[in-house]
Amino acid sequence: MNTKQGRLGWLFTSPYLIYAVVFFLIPLVWSLFLSMTDWNLISPTFSFVGITNYTEAFQSPGVKAAFFVTFKFLAVFIPLVVASSVIVALIVKGLPKYKGIFLIGFFLPYLASGVVSSLIVKGLLSYNSPINEFLRNSLGLDIDWLGTPFAALFVVAVIIAWKFTGYYALILTSGFESINKEIYEAAMIDGVSAWQRFWKITFPLLYPALYTVLILSIGVTFGIFTEVYQLTGGGPNFATNTWQMEIFTRAFSNLQAGYASAIAIIASVVTFISIFIIRKIIELWGKRNGWD
Amino acid sequence: MKTKKVVSILFLASLTVTSLAACSTGNKVQNGVVKDGVTTIEFWAAPNPTQQVYWKEVAEEFTKENPEINVNVSPMKESPTSEASIQSAIAGGSAPTMSENINRGFAAQLADSKALVKLDELNGWDKLKESRNMENTMEGWEFSDNHQYVMPIYSSPMLFGWRLDILEEIGVHEAPKTYSEMLDVAKKLKEKYPDKYVWAKDALADPTAWKRWFDFFMLYDAASNGNNFVEGTKFIGDEKAGEKVLGFVDDLRKEDALLTRKAKDPFESGLGIFTDIGPWTISYWKEKFPEMKWNETYTLAAPPVPDDKETSNVNTFADTKGLVVYASATKEQQEAAMKFINWVYSNPENDLKWFEKTNLPPARDDLTTNDTFKVFLDKNPELLPYAAAVPNAIPPMDNSKYNDIQTFIGQHAFNPVVKGEKDPKTAWKDMQEAIEGVLK
Repeated sequence: MNTKQGRLGWLFTSPYLIYAVVFFLIPLVWSLFLSMTDWNLISPTFSFVGITNYTEAFQSPGVKAAFFVTFKFLAVFIPLVVASSVIVALIVKGLPKYKGIFLIGFFLPYLASGVVSSLIVKGLLSYNSPINEFLRNSLGLDIDWLGTPFAALFVVAVIIAWKFTGYYALILTSGFESINKEIYEAAMIDGVSAWQRFWKITFPLLYPALYTVLILSIGVTFGIFTEVYQLTGGGPNFATNTWQMEIFTRAFSNLQAGYASAIAIIASVVTFISIFIIRKIIELWGKRNGWD
Repeated sequence: MKTKKVVSILFLASLTVTSLAACSTGNKVQNGVVKDGVTTIEFWAAPNPTQQVYWKEVAEEFTKENPEINVNVSPMKESPTSEASIQSAIAGGSAPTMSENINRGFAAQLADSKALVKLDELNGWDKLKESRNMENTMEGWEFSDNHQYVMPIYSSPMLFGWRLDILEEIGVHEAPKTYSEMLDVAKKLKEKYPDKYVWAKDALADPTAWKRWFDFFMLYDAASNGNNFVEGTKFIGDEKAGEKVLGFVDDLRKEDALLTRKAKDPFESGLGIFTDIGPWTISYWKEKFPEMKWNETYTLAAPPVPDDKETSNVNTFADTKGLVVYASATKEQQEAAMKFINWVYSNPENDLKWFEKTNLPPARDDLTTNDTFKVFLDKNPELLPYAAAVPNAIPPMDNSKYNDIQTFIGQHAFNPVVKGEKDPKTAWKDMQEAIEGVLK
């Protein structure tokens, strides 16, 4: 590549490079610096505390909870959102016409405000809501949806899955469209059942789209905040205390920006390692099915 | 090729400028004095429309009389909370000159970071206290460093509302005053209405720090005669009173009189017959629940006290917020801010206007004796109990770690007792240990 071309290359990549430097690199360096201070961002003075914020964070019940809660969310949210988006994509795929309109309909929750949907759910699940009155009076079920650890986590996971299902279904629909129809025709000639067709043909061939959906949804899990903030505040007993919730509480309620930055750095390392491991597992599955 | 290059560079430059402009808050640099010697002060009002209208009107009148000072009123941002917005503004160098809606705990955090002006060091402070008749009220507002950082605008003593109609139905003719009277009500209620609760409130089981103001601190202030909880770095909570409060809540739980689930309008629907009520609820009811009528459907009472306590002049928590001046303001702005505050509060009519618009009792010593407020209180008798309770109301603690402290009260004591997970003695001990740990 000659110098002229090289310069042009730099020129055309510079918008993203500038964006990355301003919004990722500088904040990251700033965060690293903050995490080694006791600064709250508003005090005129601060001291360097070395790795104290990190050692304190590792012992904090809030941080420990955030670590485990995120994996609990992964275990509940990922299967939920993948299953629901596959189902929606399959339904849309089977429609004779107006596929686009239905897809837009399913996509709309993605545009809805997390605050609004959380408040609606809060109302729906209140003790004296019609749903709970019915469950209590007709089935004798008295469920404290947001007051028991697993139920609260499940409710939050369901809301986020509802929000993202349409978006992921859109990606999966394009994945379905890219599968060669001749493979299905050959399978039908060989007498393969619909169930087998789905698991032996569709699912493995959907790998590129599924890969995208899985990586995106894992990213979402590590960033859960609004629904938790609105519905449970991280409770009961830290059962829904996510990384973002813990960082927010420390930085904005307790005015501990330095400490919150240390948690943010730990969270990003955990997120990076987790996504790396999960990605490798998914790629392994892809390789087994012939995807390199 | 040359044209392409020029276009690319222009495109890149405009993209960069646009991106950076998007990060701007749009605030102009404030140097305190603008053209023609007019000092501009930025005032952040609480984000509710009523208070914004009030401050805009008052600021306009003030500027008419004092053209050398321009008070620019704008709403405080609430994204995600007003405290977070203020913190970001200070960190970003775009803090206003002054703002309202500041509670004492948050003010302590800001004062600890030297972000607030010591109001008692500004010219005009003493005159303000005298002209507003708030010298006694201000005594409770002094911070542990013996300075004043907040000028309280209102002080709402929190009272408990009782569903009078349901009490009548179970044969009780007045609001209970002591723990045993209340437990008696709980028994009678469950006997007649097993599906109803005495106290139906999800926040009882929620450790969020501020929620303790409206349950634990109301009961604790009443049981301890307003004893402080923390002084500087020392925990000085009244153990006996605290254990009695927790024991009382535990007794209510044992009677199945507490509902800690989120319920829609539990008090208004009669699902619960007792709850904390602030004066703002009265105006809300007038609009949304006209059937809620004082001395018919509901009554207001001081918090219940242990059986061995006096039932008159009972202390309670004061939900109170005030004005602060930020240290980042220039000297001219600070002086102009004090002049504005003095102008507003030297005239009781402005406090009356506030009271009429917001129902929040102005933080002054003469609320029940000053004729200015008499007509309004006569027209709104349901606000009289609040006005009368102002002298017994205890403001929140002035500790910069109030958020941790109050979270621990919930996490280690109040919430587990409400849920029957701990006995009151152990709960108090655990809470004390946790608080002492954070105060070190």
